[in-house]
Amino acid sequence: MEVREITIGDLPVVMELERQLFAAESWLESTMASEIQNPNTFYLGLFDGGLLGYAGLSSVPASFSADVQTIGVAPGQQGQGLGRKLMELLMARALAVGAEQVLLEVRADNERAIALYKALGFEQIDTRKRYYQPSGVDALIMRAKIRQPIVLGIESTCDETGVGIVQGNRLLANALASSMDEHAKYGGVVPEVAARAHLESIGQVLDKALAEAGITIDKVDAIAVANGPGLAGALMVGIGAAKGLAVAHDIPIYAVNHLVGHVGADVLERGSVQLPTIALLVSGGHTSLLLVRDLLDDVELLGETIDDAAGEAFDKVARVLGLPYPGGPQIDQLALTGNPKAIRFPRGLTLPKDMEKHRYNFSFSGLKTAVARYVEKAEDEGTELNRADVAASFREAVVDVLISKAINACKEHGVNRLLLGGGVVANARLREYAKEVCEREGIELRIPRFSLCTDNGAMIASLGAQLIMNGREPSSLGFSAESTLDVTEVQTP
Amino acid sequence: MLLAIDSSAGTSAAIFDGERLVSKAVFEDPFGHAENIGDAIVKVLGEAKITPKDLTAVAVGRGPAPYTGLRVGMAAGISLAKTLKLDLHGVMVLDAIAYGIKGDVVVTTDAKRGELFHAVYQDGVRVSGPSVISPTELDIQPGYNHLTAGCDAEKIGRFAIAALANGIDLSDVSALYLRSADVSPSKGKRVTG
Repeated sequence: MEVREITIGDLPVVMELERQLFAAESWLESTMASEIQNPNTFYLGLFDGGLLGYAGLSSVPASFSADVQTIGVAPGQQGQGLGRKLMELLMARALAVGAEQVLLEVRADNERAIALYKALGFEQIDTRKRYYQPSGVDALIMRAKIRQPIVLGIESTCDETGVGIVQGNRLLANALASSMDEHAKYGGVVPEVAARAHLESIGQVLDKALAEAGITIDKVDAIAVANGPGLAGALMVGIGAAKGLAVAHDIPIYAVNHLVGHVGADVLERGSVQLPTIALLVSGGHTSLLLVRDLLDDVELLGETIDDAAGEAFDKVARVLGLPYPGGPQIDQLALTGNPKAIRFPRGLTLPKDMEKHRYNFSFSGLKTAVARYVEKAEDEGTELNRADVAASFREAVVDVLISKAINACKEHGVNRLLLGGGVVANARLREYAKEVCEREGIELRIPRFSLCTDNGAMIASLGAQLIMNGREPSSLGFSAESTLDVTEVQTP
Repeated sequence: MLLAIDSSAGTSAAIFDGERLVSKAVFEDPFGHAENIGDAIVKVLGEAKITPKDLTAVAVGRGPAPYTGLRVGMAAGISLAKTLKLDLHGVMVLDAIAYGIKGDVVVTTDAKRGELFHAVYQDGVRVSGPSVISPTELDIQPGYNHLTAGCDAEKIGRFAIAALANGIDLSDVSALYLRSADVSPSKGKRVTG
């Protein structure tokens, strides 16, 4: 017997069985067609030669609730547990999409179905008089509660120590400590400084997250931790703390990919990540362009920076301009009064010859050097330097190349969604330009709230929760820190 | 029941019931701290046939030691002790190595980058150090016992139990690095001439 999702191609056989089962009360073919094609529904069929049974579930993302739309088993196949099997699969689906309850209605005279639903944990919560027409039979409204897993996630890949707690798709806590100020005097993140800061703050961030969520650790069902990509010494602090929690409370642990965590953060905003999507992740450590067809199973790296990360370029140029670290906000501020077209700084890897090999890759090191040359030349010649123009023109070059390549990726892969993540999303011009271009091109733009864009523990917890909700096995306790973890490895086994 | 954790050399854990060592697990791999820390703790709990709820205190080696590995055991000790609401004790690893050894003792351990962590003891009492020295500065006087073996969780546990019995304060659970983070702010250099 084959169990698979029903597609519109199955409509004739589904309607045949629908009419056979429900006669005068059967759905119209057009109703069934729109149900099957609705992105918020899930229709499942049991096939063995023909169609033996089908069932449908509907759940609007972020509603935290799901409804059983219909269920039916072919007359000759009843009494073999197929109805139960379909219901169990729908319940698993409800768990996976983050529903905290499943509602259904059933004919008051359908004793067998009512008994099955009760056995699956449903309780009657209401009655709708004469709901079924033309027969005039009452409908019982039944509800089953689903306990979504509570996951505590730890993030320590760079300079933010994050502990987040989620329950299913619901954000419970997102506590953070940053060592950014300590890096300021060095003009960039120093790995050993970051790792030391993680160890100093992990205990209090953990306390803060539990207090924010209003729970004790014994309510937590699993631990998730980012085991890469990132700074090795920094990653190892988070892993040590995560393993300590897992063994202390005898709960499973999930080693998850930091970059995929960024993509999954949108689950906490609107209940799901709309897929497929192009994701542009831009921070002080990463500049990555991803094609995400499935959050847990199909993430493809289209391109990344071949030298400096975009955030790093902001920091370096800030130094050239005599501005403090971190450079992004400083340059943003200075650029407000500058002309972005005053100086035509180079757009890395956009020339035709580069585009062959580096279609979706980025390079910011040449840009930084070009800015430095420009500034030094002015200083050497004693000409007046319009720093605001330099800042605005530099920022424009970065934003232009980031968004142009991301939009190209959307068009060339036929994906009309773009998701932004990473700390550089704080850049006002990046957001503004992305909005402008996406509107023009008819591309849906998603930017989660800033606290979910920067490195944070909640996104790690959320990715761990997604793995659990989709029935994935935990990682082994012996996983390691993977500073160059490939984006295709969503979970380290 | 005390759980001792050390990741200053290899990765190890030990359980003590009073002063008695009940179980011990040592993973020698000097680069496998992140991998082995969970298994080390699970193994000693299993062999002692206890659950984490039976623990009453945790002791961790707080260095000096090569940093990256050291932090793994400390982070595990911190999260475990904090959420199980147990007292967490920090043990200076050279003290643990010298513990219980009579006479004059010099302890050195590998500090990487061609240097040594160093301390001197008389009947287990530290009289000098801890410090970082170059091997050329190492001067072992006649009659001194030179200990070079690294630390492990058993040594951490034994020291902690004795120290606590004698009212010695082990509440400092910060990592003992003895070196700064090895960076100096750079001025930024010119790209042209």
